[in-house]
Amino acid sequence: MNCKQARERILESLGNSQSETKELREHLAGCPACRSEWQHDREVWEKLRPAETIVASHQLMERTMTAITIEAAKESSERSASKWRSRPRWVMLAVAAVLLVVLIPLLPLGNSNRAGVALLAQSLQAMSKLRSVHISGQMRTVPGDNFELIGTDYQFVPLEMWRDYGPPTRWRVEKPGRVVVMDGQQSLLYLSKNHSAMKGEPTTGFVQWLRPLMSPETVLAGELAAAKRGEAEASLTEANGQLTLRITRQAQGDFTNDWVKNKAIDSSDHTRVYRFDSATKLLTGLSVVVHTGGQDISVLELNSFTYDQPLPDTLFALALPADVNWMLEPSEMPAAPSFTGPREAAEFFFDSLAREDWQKLLQVLPGSSVPDGIKNSYGGLNVVHLGDAFQSGLYPGWFVPYQIRLRNGETKDHKLAIRNDNPQRRWVVDGGF
Amino acid sequence: MLTAQIQIGTWPQSVAEFERLIEATQDELVQHAFCRLGNRQDAEDTVQDVYVEAFRDRQKRAHITEVRAYLFRMVGNRCTDVRRRWRFTTGPLDDHHATSDTTFSQVAGREQAERFARLLAELPPAEAEVIRLRAWSDLSFAEVAAAVGSSVPTVKSRFRYGLDKLRRLLMPEGGPNL
Repeated sequence: MNCKQARERILESLGNSQSETKELREHLAGCPACRSEWQHDREVWEKLRPAETIVASHQLMERTMTAITIEAAKESSERSASKWRSRPRWVMLAVAAVLLVVLIPLLPLGNSNRAGVALLAQSLQAMSKLRSVHISGQMRTVPGDNFELIGTDYQFVPLEMWRDYGPPTRWRVEKPGRVVVMDGQQSLLYLSKNHSAMKGEPTTGFVQWLRPLMSPETVLAGELAAAKRGEAEASLTEANGQLTLRITRQAQGDFTNDWVKNKAIDSSDHTRVYRFDSATKLLTGLSVVVHTGGQDISVLELNSFTYDQPLPDTLFALALPADVNWMLEPSEMPAAPSFTGPREAAEFFFDSLAREDWQKLLQVLPGSSVPDGIKNSYGGLNVVHLGDAFQSGLYPGWFVPYQIRLRNGETKDHKLAIRNDNPQRRWVVDGGF
Repeated sequence: MLTAQIQIGTWPQSVAEFERLIEATQDELVQHAFCRLGNRQDAEDTVQDVYVEAFRDRQKRAHITEVRAYLFRMVGNRCTDVRRRWRFTTGPLDDHHATSDTTFSQVAGREQAERFARLLAELPPAEAEVIRLRAWSDLSFAEVAAAVGSSVPTVKSRFRYGLDKLRRLLMPEGGPNL
């Protein structure tokens, strides 16, 4: 090694002891000029080096990932806008993105949760690209009854949902005895037990609470929005490669009379647990636990989420039986007397059944005909007692308590659901019999 | 290991990759920005801005392989912008900045950075930057070259010239003065 080579190696050795080779040390031992240079350089170098190094604060990572998440959310909505050319879909995603932008800084995310922030963005990105989803699981409910109904003492019933993101968007929700199909133009509800069907707009609330689940890409944002409004407590954790979002909500509505308490998820104190796959960042599970009487009772378990599988067109079409009984809108029903309130309308309903006057019954029961099941079960009944109407929870109508004796001798105590929240302000029987 | 992966890899594209990049480089980038700006708050704000810009423009930078060095360059450029803005405001050591670092070690660190900055102010900017990247950020000559956009021989020359000048400042004949 000559002096020129040694001087270059001396430079490299500053801060890098591996460059201080045996060859260099031998040269320095035999060359006073280079040794002096080496000593001076080292002295200057030591004076330049910081005595203490600065370490990034814990907040930097969280702040930065939050900012990046917001960027990702913005991109996600912009990409969807150009890719899908389907206004409802990209508008929905844009809303989700904006909600994320607004809400992420408000989440109770500690340092340990910063991975969750990133996963939120990744979930949004991943789900913005979905073509289809098929969800299946089980719910504690009554076969054939409305999709919102739950009961902590009911048995689990299978539940399935399909969504084709289109365009046009199509979906189907089904449980034993009840199915709703939206084919892109209209929605169609069919109840197999009494061959009843009803047409509605794509947004008609036939599937109630379940509908948001068919848009997994907006579930997170929607839930976080509820948290922001103070309607829920949200916590986000990541463990074992799985992101878990827990949303705890109080029952919604006025429960001065608690008849509907725990009869729907929204009318119960409950926790929703959403699970996201760490690899795909897609929603993979949802369970709902109702908290009542000191117990935690699972009422909904959706454990199978299949994405982007081709869905046959037959899923989004229903072949109705020839004798289908079309349920009517209030505006399509035959004229009825003017009632002073829900109790009088209920009296009219039960009187029609007692007299087996089916034309009269159809003035308050929305159908093109009276199903045989109703005729056979309730025709000729006797009213034992009719109570005062009351309201409960978020239900927009009224409940009228009644006790009736059926022709077969059986006595039935229940509450008739009756409502007039339609443009015509007509009283129509909605259920409860 | 993570830093090594990033060095040989391409510019990260996913949120997850960025999270790993930040994990691997945040300390050294904050150190570098602190060295330039002299206070932690501005250093961290600068580094955060750089990461967000790096994410926003990730597709445009997908061809870059010297990711770590390029991040140092971005931090350096942004620090220059910040300092330029200071000229029109109250500067880095006004009350706001002076009180943002309060612990003894933070004050010591700030004083150390100020002393280092005063020394480097005696050098041409290109030499000062090479010294800064070597002494405070532990970048190799190859990484420094990538960070400043010059060749390795040029960087080594600047380092040598800068070091010699600093030696004369720090250790004039008769002994060291600092």
